[in-house]
Amino acid sequence: MSISRIRLSPRQRATRASHHLLLVVLSLLSLFPVILILSTALKTEQDVKVNPFGLFSSFSFENIVQAWTVGEFGSHLLDSVLLTIPSTVLTVVLSTMAGYAFARLPFPGRNILFYAVVLGLLVPFFAYMIPLYFQLRTMGMLDTLVGTILVLSTTGLAFGAFFMRAFFSDLPDELEQAARIDGASEARIFAQVMLPLATPGIGTLTVFTFLQNWNNFLVPLLYLPSGEYRPLTTGLYLFVGGRSVDIGPLAAGALITILPVVLLFILLQRQVTEGFLSGAVKG
Amino acid sequence: MNPPTRSHSAPRVTRRAQARLGVALVAPLLAFVTVFFLFPLGNAIYYSMLDYNGVDPSPAFVGLGNFVELATDPALGPAFMNNIIWIVLGTAAPVVIGLSLALLMWTVRRASTLYRVALFIPYILPAVAAGVVWSWIYDPMRGWLNQLLRSVGLDALATGWLGNPNTALCAVLVTAVWATTGFVFVVLLSSLRNVDAELLDAARMDGANSLQRVWYIVLPQIMPVFLMIVTLTLVGGFSVFDIVFIMTGGGPSNATEVLGTYAYSNAFQLNRISYGTALALVITVLAIPFAVALNRLQRRLSFQESV
Repeated sequence: MSISRIRLSPRQRATRASHHLLLVVLSLLSLFPVILILSTALKTEQDVKVNPFGLFSSFSFENIVQAWTVGEFGSHLLDSVLLTIPSTVLTVVLSTMAGYAFARLPFPGRNILFYAVVLGLLVPFFAYMIPLYFQLRTMGMLDTLVGTILVLSTTGLAFGAFFMRAFFSDLPDELEQAARIDGASEARIFAQVMLPLATPGIGTLTVFTFLQNWNNFLVPLLYLPSGEYRPLTTGLYLFVGGRSVDIGPLAAGALITILPVVLLFILLQRQVTEGFLSGAVKG
Repeated sequence: MNPPTRSHSAPRVTRRAQARLGVALVAPLLAFVTVFFLFPLGNAIYYSMLDYNGVDPSPAFVGLGNFVELATDPALGPAFMNNIIWIVLGTAAPVVIGLSLALLMWTVRRASTLYRVALFIPYILPAVAAGVVWSWIYDPMRGWLNQLLRSVGLDALATGWLGNPNTALCAVLVTAVWATTGFVFVVLLSSLRNVDAELLDAARMDGANSLQRVWYIVLPQIMPVFLMIVTLTLVGGFSVFDIVFIMTGGGPSNATEVLGTYAYSNAFQLNRISYGTALALVITVLAIPFAVALNRLQRRLSFQESV
């Protein structure tokens, strides 16, 4: 970068200050909806009735308690965890194994199989969601956690295999060759030499997949119809549908839905952006 | 996306061991993909040629009947138009705003992480939460948008944004633009890192103004990434569903109906399973040529760049 001036002229300083001012305003605008959720969720019951959208005009946890118990957001949160964690683990494990094979282990039919898998990047879930509904019903997996987890993990496999293959392809050959000369078996080269080198990629994929699964709306909406299991996304959606519901608990429900995602992002923002970036640039 | 061709000649024993392990490592993933992706996808093609209502054990085979009906369905045209509006505005707005933001951030070092986080957060929020909070902003009486308009004397413009057929599509679109702009911004910002700064300085010396510099120097250099974003939003624009379904469900009086919500309501509310499936396939097939064409163009550009 050529922009490493040591001393700024007054004019440059003014430009820079105006940039910052503009960026602060835009950042606040971008965050405004999140602030609004937080503010309404933390109001007292009376205040919500009078002034639901005034920012931070009162403070209580009443709405959160209401949402957690009456709104069943506690159980939605549990269902979100029960769906998201196993499906994320499945996607990451299967993608890592297959990504390694697609990148570094030649076998007959490898290319055609790889294309069949990454076809999933081109075909939206949309195209096959209807037949999949009846297929799950026939398999006895409709309305079950297991069925939904299997579907959720499959929706991440096209990107996962694609991403991990790219990651393993970029690793140098030397270590693999050296281990082979030392007489290590192929399985050992994978598990003890190459896999440790892939940890950054696996980390990025895990965070990315977790977010996708946590936010997924259509899969639980379609394949968990009875409501015995209901994650936060569809829980919040159906809570809105019940018109008698107050804005206060709704805001609290929205807060419970977004909080894990926002916290995860703030903690691991580098991995998250990297995941989305590579998803975009390479896909 | 081409698999690398590894040309080192390993001994036959090694190659056999590699092939064995390769098949073993790929097999579980293939089982999932086959059962939960390829099989239902093939089934979708079969379904689209039936007249299935979800219960009938032996639905009639109608061949291309559903597709013929689609071609003459009067409700499909407006839905398709809404997709086109969605694609054009939903691509143009985030790209213009995102690029402006990225250029603004380009030289900023201090607090840059903070700005990036603030602008990216909308993109990672679940669509349901975005829908809920934006419907409050659009609330006819107490929503921030109308309050703001009234406070500056523009009472005439205040309306029930999501309930008014004339504004509903735009209102939902603004929510989507809010959600995607941060992503476009981060992608473009990272691509700006590769822009040749010396070229830019030279252009400045030659008296090019900032708009000219962006148009002639910056844009050509980030063109592959630019096209990639257009591809993504374009493909997404054909299959848009979540945010529309959540905020308006296609209403009021079909004003926000897009192909996705129309396919969904046919399949799951009107029990016209086959018709909905046929439409979902048409949506997919519509998007693919655009995606492939743009992807080709993008790759050709990045190839030229690397030569």
